[in-house]
Amino acid sequence: MEKVFTIKLAGPAGLGIKSGGQLLSQILIAHGFSVHDYNEYPSLVRGGHNTYQVTFTTGELFAPHHTVDLFFSITPGHWQQHLKEFTPNTLIAADEKVAAAPTTGHLESVPLKDMSIEVGTVIVTNTICVGLAAFLFHLDPEICHAQITQQFGKNAEMNIKAFDAGWVYAQKHLSAYLQSVNPPKGVANRKLVDGNEAYGWGFIQGGGNFYSAYPMTPATGALHFLAAKQQEYKLHVVHAEDEIGVASIASGAAFAGARAAVGTSGGGFALMNETISYCGVTEIGMVFYLVSRPGPATGLPTYTSQGDLLYAINSGHGEFPKIVLAPSSQLESFEFSALSLDLAAAYQLPVLVVSDKFLAESAVSLEDLSQKKVTPLSVEVVKEGDGHFKRYALTPTGVSPVALPGTKGAEFIANSYEHDEYGYSAEDSETTVAQLEKRHRKLDSAKPNLPKAVLHGSPKATKLIVCWGSVAGPVLEALRLLPAGHPYAALVVRTVWPIDPEIEALTKNYPEIITVENNQTAQLTTVLRSQINFHPTRVITKFDGRPFYPEELIKEFT
Amino acid sequence: MTTIAELRTPHAPTWCPGCDDFLLLAGLQQALAASAIPTEKTVIVYDIGCAGNMADFVHTYAVHSLHGRSIAVAMGIKLFRPDLTVIVIGGDGGIYGEGLNHLVAAARANSDIKVFVSNNYLYSLTTGQTSPTTPKGAKTKSTPLGVTNEPLVASRFIPAINDQVWVQKVSAKNIAELNGEIKEALNHQGFALLDVDENCVSFGKQLR
Ligand SMILES: Cc1ncc(C[n+]2csc(CCOP(=O)(O)OP(=O)(O)O)c2C)c(N)n1
Ligand code: SF4
Ligand SMILES: [Mg+2]
Repeated sequence: MEKVFTIKLAGPAGLGIKSGGQLLSQILIAHGFSVHDYNEYPSLVRGGHNTYQVTFTTGELFAPHHTVDLFFSITPGHWQQHLKEFTPNTLIAADEKVAAAPTTGHLESVPLKDMSIEVGTVIVTNTICVGLAAFLFHLDPEICHAQITQQFGKNAEMNIKAFDAGWVYAQKHLSAYLQSVNPPKGVANRKLVDGNEAYGWGFIQGGGNFYSAYPMTPATGALHFLAAKQQEYKLHVVHAEDEIGVASIASGAAFAGARAAVGTSGGGFALMNETISYCGVTEIGMVFYLVSRPGPATGLPTYTSQGDLLYAINSGHGEFPKIVLAPSSQLESFEFSALSLDLAAAYQLPVLVVSDKFLAESAVSLEDLSQKKVTPLSVEVVKEGDGHFKRYALTPTGVSPVALPGTKGAEFIANSYEHDEYGYSAEDSETTVAQLEKRHRKLDSAKPNLPKAVLHGSPKATKLIVCWGSVAGPVLEALRLLPAGHPYAALVVRTVWPIDPEIEALTKNYPEIITVENNQTAQLTTVLRSQINFHPTRVITKFDGRPFYPEELIKEFT
Repeated sequence: MTTIAELRTPHAPTWCPGCDDFLLLAGLQQALAASAIPTEKTVIVYDIGCAGNMADFVHTYAVHSLHGRSIAVAMGIKLFRPDLTVIVIGGDGGIYGEGLNHLVAAARANSDIKVFVSNNYLYSLTTGQTSPTTPKGAKTKSTPLGVTNEPLVASRFIPAINDQVWVQKVSAKNIAELNGEIKEALNHQGFALLDVDENCVSFGKQLR
C-alpha cells in the first residue's frame, strides 16, 4: 500500500499558516499526489494556536491522518500540544534556540524568522517551510516555482526566494531526514477545493442563481466563494440583515422563479426555522445549507460537529415533508448542492444539505469543478392559465403545477395558512386533511431521485459500520488501512431524511453493527431506530469538536 | 386595463363591518385598475393580521407570508424579478414590530417595493394588544396598567434612515386623499411606505 505522509504547520494567527499549507497542497497536487487537508484555528483574528495539516499519498486517500511526519513550529512552543501526533521518525522543525526535546521525534532548531528577515519579511516564513518540505520530499523545484508564481502574482519573486532559502537550508542541515517517496509522474489537473467551495460550484453548475446568507462560521466560505463569482456567473448574492431576512428574501426569490439557497450554521439555522415550515406549507422549494459546528448556542465556533442532525430533520413547526441530504465527501458536497436545487424545484419543498466544519473547511484534491457539468432535472412550469389556477391541485404524486408571476391567468396565492387548491385560506377538516396528505405524497414521489445509502467493502464482511456525513471519510480511510481480510464493511447513509426502508435489508444480516457519529447522542442511530428495525451492537461517538482520525478508529476496530 | 371586477376573487371580505381595511382594499383595487400594470405582473405580499387577511380578496399573484416577514419576502421577489410590481400589505404590528429589521433594511436599500401599513395602533387579529404605535398611556389587554413606551412614528424615523425614500401618512377616513396617496405610492420609483391611519371598530375603544 502507498505510504501516507502528513506535514503540519503550527503558529499564531496572522502568519500565513493556512496559506502556507494551501500552497504546499497545491504543489503536491501539481505533482500528482492525492491530498486531504485539515485545519484548526481558534475564533480570533491574531495570535492563538493555528494549525494546518496536509496529508498526502500517491494513491487513494479519504481522510487526514493523525500521525505527523514533518511538523513546523513557526514561532516557539507550538509543537508541545502535539506530542501524541509524533512518531520516533517525526521531524519537528521549530524556530527556537534552546528547546526542551520532545519525548518522541527529532526536534531541530531552524532559524525561520531570521531567514525570513534575510529574504525581506516575516510574512514569507510559511513559504520557507514549504521550501524545506519540498527538499525533504524530493519535489520538483520547477513545479514548485510555477505554483508559487501562480499563487502570489506580484509577490512571486520574494516567495520564490523564500522557497529557495528553505530548500537550501534543508539541503545543508536536514538531509538526514530525507524521506523515501517518489512523486508520481504524469499530468495532474486536479484542484485544491474545500467542502464550501465544492458546494458553491455545485450551486453554480446546478443552475443556482440566488444565494443569501449572514456570515457564520463554518458556512461563511460558501458566501465568500459565491459573492466573488456573482458577476461571472450572473448570481444574486445577498448578505441580508439577519438570518430571518436571509431565509425570507430567498423564499421570495424562489416564489418568483429563482433556484435559491441560503447558508448558515446552527445558530442562524435556528432563526430560519419559521421559513422552513413556511416553505413546507406554501410549497416554495428552496435549499438550506446547514454547516454544523458544536453548539449549544455560540459553542465552539471554529470546530466540527454532527450535533444538528435531529434538529435539521425536525426543523420547522408543524408537519410537512422535507428532504435532508448529508454529503459524505467534498465531491458529494458538489453533487448534492446541485441535486438539492433540483429536488427543491421538482418537489416544491425545503431541502436541507447538512455539512459540518470538518467537511466544509477541509480541502482536498478534486477534479476541476469549474468544468464539471451536471444535467438538471427538468421542471415544468405552467405557460398560461384560465384565471382559476389550481396551484395546490390534489394530484396522485402530490406535486401540483407551478406558475411564475408574469404568467397570464395563473394568478394564485402562496399561502402560509392552510389553503384550498387555489391557495385561498381554508379551515375545514376535509381540505386540511387533503392538503396535508397531498404534500406528504411528495416524499414518495421524490424517493427515486434521493441518494441511496452506499455499502463499501466485501460481501463477506460480518461487521457493519454505519455512518453519515463527514465521518465517512475517516471510516473509509480506516477500512483502507486495516490489514487485508478484515471483517468490516461500511454503510454510508446519504439521505438522512426520509429514511429509505431498504436500509433495514442492507443492515439486518450483520451479526455486529457499529454506528460511528461525531456527536454526543448518536443522532442518526436514533433516527434509524425510529424508522426501521435497526439494532446496533455498538455506538461510537466523539463530541469534542474534533473529527475522528482513521488511526483512532482502527484502534476501535481491532 | 384591468377592471375592478377582475381584481376580485370569489371570496368576500371577512372584516368586521365598519373596519377601515375595507377603505384600503377599495383604494388599492381602484389604483391597480387605473394603472397600466397587468394583474399577472403584480405581486402582493401580505403580512399576518387583519390587514393581511386581504390576501383572499384581491386577484393578483400573491404571497400570504409570515407575521413580520412580508417586506423581506417582497424584497426577494423584487431583487430576482425587477419586472414585477411588488406591493406589501401589513399591519402596524407586523411592519413596525415583528418585522422592523426588514423595514430598516428595505429603506436603507431603497428597495423598489410599495408598503401599505394599516396602522390601527393595535394587534387586532389577536384581539387587541398594544402595538409599536399605541399612544403612551393607553390601556390595552396586554398593558392594563397603560403603555409606558414611546410610540414609533414611521414618517419620523424612516426618513432618518434614508431621506431618498417616499413616506406618507394619511387617514383612511379621508377617502379622496387616501386614494390619491395610494396612486402616488404605486407610481413612486423606489421604496414607498404609506402609513394609513385606521380605526379598529372592535378593539379600538381601548385607545379612547
Ligand atoms: C411569529 C408570530 N407571532 C405571533 C403571531 C400572532 N399574531 C397574528 S396577527 C398578530 C398581530 C397583528 O397585528 P398587526 O400587524 O397590527 O395587524 P392587525 O391585525 O392589527 O391588522 C399577531 C401577534 C403570529 N401569527 N406569528
Ligand atoms: S378586529 Fe379591528 S382591524 Fe380586525 S377586522 Fe375587526 S375592525 Fe378590522
Ligand atoms: Mg394593527
